Amino acid sequence: MTAAPYLALAGIGKRYGEQVVIGNLDLGVEQGEFVSLLGPSGCGKTTLLRIIAGLVESDAGSVRVAGLDLTGLPAHKRNIGVVFQNYALFPHLTVGDNVAFGLRAQRASAADTEKAVAHALDLVRLADYRARPVTALSGGQQQRVALARAIATRPRLILLDEPLSALDRKLRETMQIELRRILRAEGMTAIFVTHDQEEALVMSDRLAVMNAGRIEQLGTPAQVYARPATPFVMDFVGLSCRLAGTVESSANGLTQVRTAFGGIAAPGAFRCGARVEVGVRPERVAVNRGGDLAGRNRITARAQETVYLGSRGLLYFACGGNDRLLVEVGGEAAAPSGGDTVLDWRIDDTLLFAAPAGA
Amino acid sequence: MAAAANPRVAWLALPGVGFLVAAFALPLAALLVTSFHGAQGWTLEGYTRFFGDPFNYAVLANTLKSACIITVACLVIGYPTAFVLARATGLMQATLLLALILPLSVGVVVKAFAWTILLRSNGLVNTLLTGLGIVDEPVRLLFTETGLAIGAVHVFLPFMVLPIYAVARQIDGRLTDAAASLGAGPLLRFTRVVWPLSLPGVVAGVAFVFSMAVSMYVIPSLLMGDRYKTLPTLIARSYLFMRDRQTGSTMAVVLLAIAVTVVIGSALLARRLQSGRAA
Repeated sequence: MTAAPYLALAGIGKRYGEQVVIGNLDLGVEQGEFVSLLGPSGCGKTTLLRIIAGLVESDAGSVRVAGLDLTGLPAHKRNIGVVFQNYALFPHLTVGDNVAFGLRAQRASAADTEKAVAHALDLVRLADYRARPVTALSGGQQQRVALARAIATRPRLILLDEPLSALDRKLRETMQIELRRILRAEGMTAIFVTHDQEEALVMSDRLAVMNAGRIEQLGTPAQVYARPATPFVMDFVGLSCRLAGTVESSANGLTQVRTAFGGIAAPGAFRCGARVEVGVRPERVAVNRGGDLAGRNRITARAQETVYLGSRGLLYFACGGNDRLLVEVGGEAAAPSGGDTVLDWRIDDTLLFAAPAGA
Repeated sequence: MAAAANPRVAWLALPGVGFLVAAFALPLAALLVTSFHGAQGWTLEGYTRFFGDPFNYAVLANTLKSACIITVACLVIGYPTAFVLARATGLMQATLLLALILPLSVGVVVKAFAWTILLRSNGLVNTLLTGLGIVDEPVRLLFTETGLAIGAVHVFLPFMVLPIYAVARQIDGRLTDAAASLGAGPLLRFTRVVWPLSLPGVVAGVAFVFSMAVSMYVIPSLLMGDRYKTLPTLIARSYLFMRDRQTGSTMAVVLLAIAVTVVIGSALLARRLQSGRAA
């Protein structure tokens, strides 16, 4: 797309004293899109959300929505909905009055307010709870009230700050689907902050992996998982094998790396002698497969531990240093007991990165 | 409840209950009895005499007026103070709390007497006012209702600030963020979110300050002198100078009824506001 995206963040910067929380960040989100900001705690994702909402002022950069420059505008003039981590429902008001709060603050007519509240409560299936005090609701119900409250005013954009993190696992999985259904039905553009990579993969149209105040990678869940841009992204999203090594040769888009487990080939070009890291997703690795090895990497390692996960198992192998070697096996597959195990995977599935500074 | 599970625990309350009965319940009962007991046995004469005298209505109005002014002044000054205190952190909060609570250890007589010195025509307050050119000549403060209000507000302020502070620190800052994201400006955020949530603290502070202000004796005695008449000063005069125990106890019962009405009214209001957000 050549036109400016619906939400355009340009050059956003924020520091608290000496500490840079967000450094020169750009992000574009299309209308109707569901984008996750995924990262560990302290990576700046919540601060970025608060900057978009107007609850925190950025030191640099601009926030534009639908061509409108919102930079410097206070939160109450932005019409951006926010669902807070602990819902932040007004404890002195009923469910209905919580949902009506924004409409009344924006001086909507009584008829419009009534219509919007009824519609929002219908969407979250809480129409029967309208007259109840919010403090009498369960966590999942409170979460839905918070969502209804945020969408009732038809905001330009809806921001969700880890809205599911306080729910138990089963309920969280139900709400992930519910949340997507509602936002899609309303055609709402949403930015969703989470530290849960699984949640981000399940819910997002695109996800931005954040680390130390920067976006390390922005892409669809499939892109980010299959082709992580940095070792950080590879580690943060999904499981991975990770071996440190040195480039021995690099030609025709194929790089040979020497690791503790011998030579490994990976697609990509690197300077000879460069310190690199190679990675591969555990489900791509075959155990004692034998047969044709054309176009595949092959190493021998000693199995150390099996972790049983129900439908599948993870086999960990003995490694030195920061190396990590694990393979996904079927839940029923007997773990090779002791001894040397031959592992192999496609060269095309091998990921290659420059070693992070200081590693 | 522990007491229900183990009835013997209830006996631990005995010393406290005994003290309250001996020090409060019995004297109050005696007060009530005295107010209905004249020279010729049981009578309503004390009350008919009190409510039959227009002078007493003037005194009653005077008492209620000054108590109301002091309560409102404490609320206006104390409310923002309580929020500053609640939002402050670390050393700043500890310092502010200390500054608020430490004066409570100084007796009322000392504080009221200090105000007589500060409020004199050549006292610190007037020196400051004239020195700064705010007024041309010393303002009469001592022996005026303004001076009384200043002194009383100073003494009672902590009792307004502390309950509001206790409630204010429970108010989640994200609630105002949420209100802002829903389009509420600063004024609406206050009137629709912060104020209703702080009401239980306000009600408690008002109950404290009003019941103390309506029954204060030492402060008006020192700052207003003998000619200023409120219910408490009349009660003291009846007992100490007129030796008229019936009149004194009658007025004491009236005063008590007013204070109790306000306290119970506040408590009921607080409960109604709380039930709006049933736990």
